[in-house]
Amino acid sequence: MNCLEFRRAAMLAPRRLDTEALGHAERCPACGVFLGEALGLEAQIENSLDIPVPHGLQERMVRNALDAPRISRRQALVAGLALAATAGGAGLLWQRDDPLALAGIDFVVFEEAQAILDAKPADPASLRRAALQTGIVLPAQLGELRYIGTCPFAGATAHHVVLKTAFGKATLLLLPGRPLGTRLIASARGLHAAIAPASGGSVAIIADSSRGIARIESILKSG
Amino acid sequence: MAGRKAGFDRAVESYFGGLYRYAYWLCRNRWQAEDIVQDSLLRAWRAWPALREERALKSWLFTIVHREYLRAAARVPRTESDAGAEEAGYDPDPGGALDMEQALQELADDSREALLLQVLGGFTCVEIAQVLGASEGAVMTRLTRARQALRRKLGAAGGATGTVREPRTA
Ligand SMILES: [Zn+2]
Repeated sequence: MNCLEFRRAAMLAPRRLDTEALGHAERCPACGVFLGEALGLEAQIENSLDIPVPHGLQERMVRNALDAPRISRRQALVAGLALAATAGGAGLLWQRDDPLALAGIDFVVFEEAQAILDAKPADPASLRRAALQTGIVLPAQLGELRYIGTCPFAGATAHHVVLKTAFGKATLLLLPGRPLGTRLIASARGLHAAIAPASGGSVAIIADSSRGIARIESILKSG
Repeated sequence: MAGRKAGFDRAVESYFGGLYRYAYWLCRNRWQAEDIVQDSLLRAWRAWPALREERALKSWLFTIVHREYLRAAARVPRTESDAGAEEAGYDPDPGGALDMEQALQELADDSREALLLQVLGGFTCVEIAQVLGASEGAVMTRLTRARQALRRKLGAAGGATGTVREPRTA
């Protein structure tokens, strides 16, 4: 192996040099230095790429994946619709894991990514109109708007908002024209959801923590 | 069924960090990375094979993540990256790590992808070629270019990698 061959090998895969290459670096001072630099760079690359994995993410994602085939989108929507009819009529239904709120969680787990992928360019003006119609405002302190769009949810068109908040990622589904008598909640798949009544409809909030949801609700109300 | 689930769980346990980091460095956005990995795991579980050779399983999972990323990138314009954003529990080493991040970002996409698979996945050139759908020779070129560019950029910035000497013999 000559110097050029050695350096090619070191630039290609410095952690996988064979004994011949390592022997060359031992005998050839210039290539020895080159190898030292190459390994130094490699350590820098490895350090840089080694970002922390969010705590609990793996467990949540595995659970989501393993649970996925059990509930189809259709079943989730049907559950949502059935409850909406009941809740709209009675206006008083409350239970720990409300089906419409669960449908919100399923939306985030199964539909949201695809909705974002399929999205056409968003129109911020239509979001403002929908917020106005629903009877809420979306103040800047909610966090960064990462995505806005519309999507089918529980038999109606929801205005879909993805936020980056101080408490992590949150999804809002604005449901103008869908009044609600009481707040609905659910938690499943490592996510929490609340559907809060508003003057002109309701808004579903789906986030990692119920604390995050409470904070968002208080901001929506204070706005 | 329980055996399949346990097998899936074990495989994810072994490779999750690498898969997540690969997705993150492809899109440089934690949310997108989470979406990509979640979609990949859903896909992987649906297609989960009864039996698979360990080595093949790993490149299969990385291939799924890569395809999910391409799917996402094809339809959504790149969103703002997390670079420089405050992230709980994420404190990049201020001395050099940010330079490296910048230099990585400036690499050609195909060079960066090959380098990520090599460093994060520990794959050989042949395996990287399979994941990326490229020839082995093309992967070798991309890896070499990636390291040359990083040396140049970080060397020019006065980083620890210092001067790059050209080989004396041809
Ligand atoms: Zn030499």
